[in-house]
Amino acid sequence: MIPGRTLRQAIVVARKELKDSCRDRRALWSIVFSVVVGPILVGIMVNRLADRQRDADVLRIPIVGTSRAPALVHWLNQQSGVSVVEAPADAEKAVRDRREAVIVVVPDDFADRFRASRPAPLQVVADSSRTDVQPSVQRVRDLLQQYGAEIGSLRLIMRGVSPAAMQPIALEQIEVSTAQQRAAQILTFIPMFIMVAGFVGGMQIATDSTAGERERGSLEPLLVNPAPRVALVAGKWMAAALAAIVSVCLTTLLCAVLTRMLTLEDIGLRLQIGVEHLGPILLAVAPLCLFTAALQAAVATLARSFKEAQTYMGVLILAPMLPGILSALYPLGKAPWMSAVPMLGPYVLLTDIIGGQPPNAAAFAASAATCLAASALLIRLTTGLFRSERIIFGR
Amino acid sequence: MLSITNARKRFGTVTAVDGVSFVARDGAITGLLGPNGAGKTTTLRMLYAVLRPDSGEIRVDDVDAVTAPQEAQAKLGVLPDGFGLYPRLTAREHLDYFGALQGIEPGRLASRTEELIDLLDMRGIADRRTAGFSHGERTKVALARTLVHEPQNVLLDEPTNGLDVMSTRAVRAIVRRLRDEGRCVLFSSHVMQEVSALCDSIVVIAFGRVVAQGTPDELRRQTGHDTLEDAFVALAGLDGEARE
Repeated sequence: MIPGRTLRQAIVVARKELKDSCRDRRALWSIVFSVVVGPILVGIMVNRLADRQRDADVLRIPIVGTSRAPALVHWLNQQSGVSVVEAPADAEKAVRDRREAVIVVVPDDFADRFRASRPAPLQVVADSSRTDVQPSVQRVRDLLQQYGAEIGSLRLIMRGVSPAAMQPIALEQIEVSTAQQRAAQILTFIPMFIMVAGFVGGMQIATDSTAGERERGSLEPLLVNPAPRVALVAGKWMAAALAAIVSVCLTTLLCAVLTRMLTLEDIGLRLQIGVEHLGPILLAVAPLCLFTAALQAAVATLARSFKEAQTYMGVLILAPMLPGILSALYPLGKAPWMSAVPMLGPYVLLTDIIGGQPPNAAAFAASAATCLAASALLIRLTTGLFRSERIIFGR
Repeated sequence: MLSITNARKRFGTVTAVDGVSFVARDGAITGLLGPNGAGKTTTLRMLYAVLRPDSGEIRVDDVDAVTAPQEAQAKLGVLPDGFGLYPRLTAREHLDYFGALQGIEPGRLASRTEELIDLLDMRGIADRRTAGFSHGERTKVALARTLVHEPQNVLLDEPTNGLDVMSTRAVRAIVRRLRDEGRCVLFSSHVMQEVSALCDSIVVIAFGRVVAQGTPDELRRQTGHDTLEDAFVALAGLDGEARE
């Protein structure tokens, strides 16, 4: 058989499968849904995070008993982005009812003890089970401690002691990650959603054109055509992979639009997916799409029924999520061998691309090579299955 | 021309076809007659090269279908048991798909499609999706798809099964026309009237073996029965069951 003819036949099959699945409304909507929902969820989550961070920037501190500590109130009001307000009488109830995130209580004996240079009590009323207000609570505590430290230094100076004696250690944290990387860490789900979009995008065609075709009884007439089995398998695979790549483009574009809409710079997150990223992202994920489509077609062909194939897909979808989940649980680090692991390679590439650190050509090549080699193996396997009488006619 | 010589096929412990031999000639309608489960479909599947015989020889014209299945398939038009249409494609798209797989160039395919639409009286349904088609309409689409590449040899597995009178007549007309064009038509059925009305030659198959072959008259003479139905029952070894 001339390879040119085989390729033409494969393209005929691919075109038919794409046309067929475009008319499958329900399948189409399920793809659109899964492609769209991920990025939108991330967008909402990140937006809320950013809102909260901005809220913490202008800090309102309700204080009970402002008149008992006028110097403290004055000092707090002078700090940038801080304003002191009078707190409701029952501080604990107000916090418990979530009317206030945090309330500072100045007890009656504050002024006396302060004047006598004895530790003056201040109460911070907060609900530590509310994670959303923790940044505000932390800032209030930091401010109060800073005030205490300043007063302490002044008292030491008045007694002729250098405040440096109170600081045996000068702690300094040096941040090495770029803002872009920190953002990528927060948004580790974006690579995951892109990979899942690739998986879901190809799934329908891969199962419908193999397990589904057999169940409809249309496989037998197809096999009577004088086309080598590899042309049929390759055609179905090409159609599934193409749908996967289209889904990846959709998700990426959606992420690009969303990250542009969310202005994250003001909270120290620099994350932009622009048109210039689309090329590298596709270069990283397209080989993965070829691989997952080949994997789906092989598994669906092995399945006894369409239903069984769908069940397997539900399990397989964990594979593209695994690197994302693992890296959230414990840092994966970075090693050259990672590029050569089918699911991990593209994930590492994506994280770097989105994190603003373009990976080198070798990493791209290693990832693509493993994906392509695995695809070739799987297509050979599926072609073999298409020759098996037990597979063609069911068991 | 189709010839099958001493073909055997086992599935696990079941012997589906146990040494079948016959020839279907060009310009003739050959009927493969047998009760359900006799091995008709397995025999046809070996002829159209989706099943490989365990032993025996199968030739399509001058091509060995066992060693060169695709070359043999290029000379065949096949209507398998159960039509296997795509519900989301139109009738015309079915012809486009299989015509393209057969390698017919687009211009020729377009005119051939029109020809078949007229021949099978499918004008009204040509551009509708097959999802809601009646049994008769589905048969027409499947038959048109079988003939799109003008095959010299046509294999039809129970084509008239479950069809109404008008559709059955239409199928018979097509089958006769194919014979008159000099093609080799092999079709299977378990319905006596079907075979006697249409076939020039009959191969009776039962329990995976050919139990008789010849013209309808020859079969009647061979068994000493007046009607073909009695002859069939006697040949298929069903008379014991029929008497009970």
